[in-house]
Amino acid sequence: MAETVYFETVAVGDDIPVLAKGPMTTAHIIRWSAAMENWHKIHYDWRYATEHDGLPDVLINGSWKQHVLAQVLVDWVGETGWLWKMNFQYRGMNIPGDTLTAWGRVTGRSQRGRYGVIELDIGLKDQNGKEGSPGTAVIVLPLRDGPPVPYPFHPAALH
Amino acid sequence: MAVDELVDHITPDVRAVIGARSDWLEAPHPVEASEVRRFFQALMDPNPRFWDTEHAAGTRYGAVVAPPGFPVHAFRRPADDSTDSLAAAGDPDFDGVSRAMRVGLPKLPIALSGILNGGYEYEFFSYPKVGDRIQCRSAYLDIYQKQGKAGPMVLVVIEDEYRTADGRPLLKSLNTMIMR
Repeated sequence: MAETVYFETVAVGDDIPVLAKGPMTTAHIIRWSAAMENWHKIHYDWRYATEHDGLPDVLINGSWKQHVLAQVLVDWVGETGWLWKMNFQYRGMNIPGDTLTAWGRVTGRSQRGRYGVIELDIGLKDQNGKEGSPGTAVIVLPLRDGPPVPYPFHPAALH
Repeated sequence: MAVDELVDHITPDVRAVIGARSDWLEAPHPVEASEVRRFFQALMDPNPRFWDTEHAAGTRYGAVVAPPGFPVHAFRRPADDSTDSLAAAGDPDFDGVSRAMRVGLPKLPIALSGILNGGYEYEFFSYPKVGDRIQCRSAYLDIYQKQGKAGPMVLVVIEDEYRTADGRPLLKSLNTMIMR
């Protein structure tokens, strides 16, 4: 089990451990589409994707990419911190052959009540370093001498 | 100026559904262990909190849970839905997805065929456990038009609130869908 990340140990500018997935293939894409029961042809019908919709290839699901962003954050803070907020835009398309690396960098930190609140920039870069899903996140961490972050989480705990 | 730029898709009929909010609707079945397994295996996220009952019993969740964003995908085709969602799959123009934005919200009377997911803002409160019955309430928070490079785009901002049937908040999301 990962060690507890305490608020005091986190500094603005810190990079959290990255999380890489890939190279992604059509098999990975259809495995996700089937698990989701999402039958959008742009994810598995090459002719439809390229000829009908004019895409460069079938696409890696945006619905899959969002969970990779959540995972890199939850993996970092384990069972003692809380991924409170996360937002991102789908700006780039990703295709088979891409390896995607989720990353996060601390941009702000503040103590609120008896807890620490960490702000981060986040994203999902391809193997060429191109950012396709930029966003931000807010994590709640325990203080060294503080109580555990409540679960279920309630924002009122920060007051 | 292209003719397209003059088209105002935000008609009175569209304006009338801005603010529309659905009732709380329940997913067709409770969260299933194998459904969660397919989910985390496809995500390639094998954390024991998703499958190891002994490990999970010692965590703050008290039992195995699904990944944070799982509720967003919980509204699957009900067993008693006799309308095959792939009935039109032989049509070369059929893209495989329903035009309905959300189960409980009215379809939008907008004559744009392309649809893209613009992104999400999430706020997480708890994770669903196997056996939880997930409920969702959705609203069209805003619908507005912007001029894109290839013509007009309509941006649809949808708020979704998820909770368990026994009232435990799961997550809240703001999703921007782009029609063009």
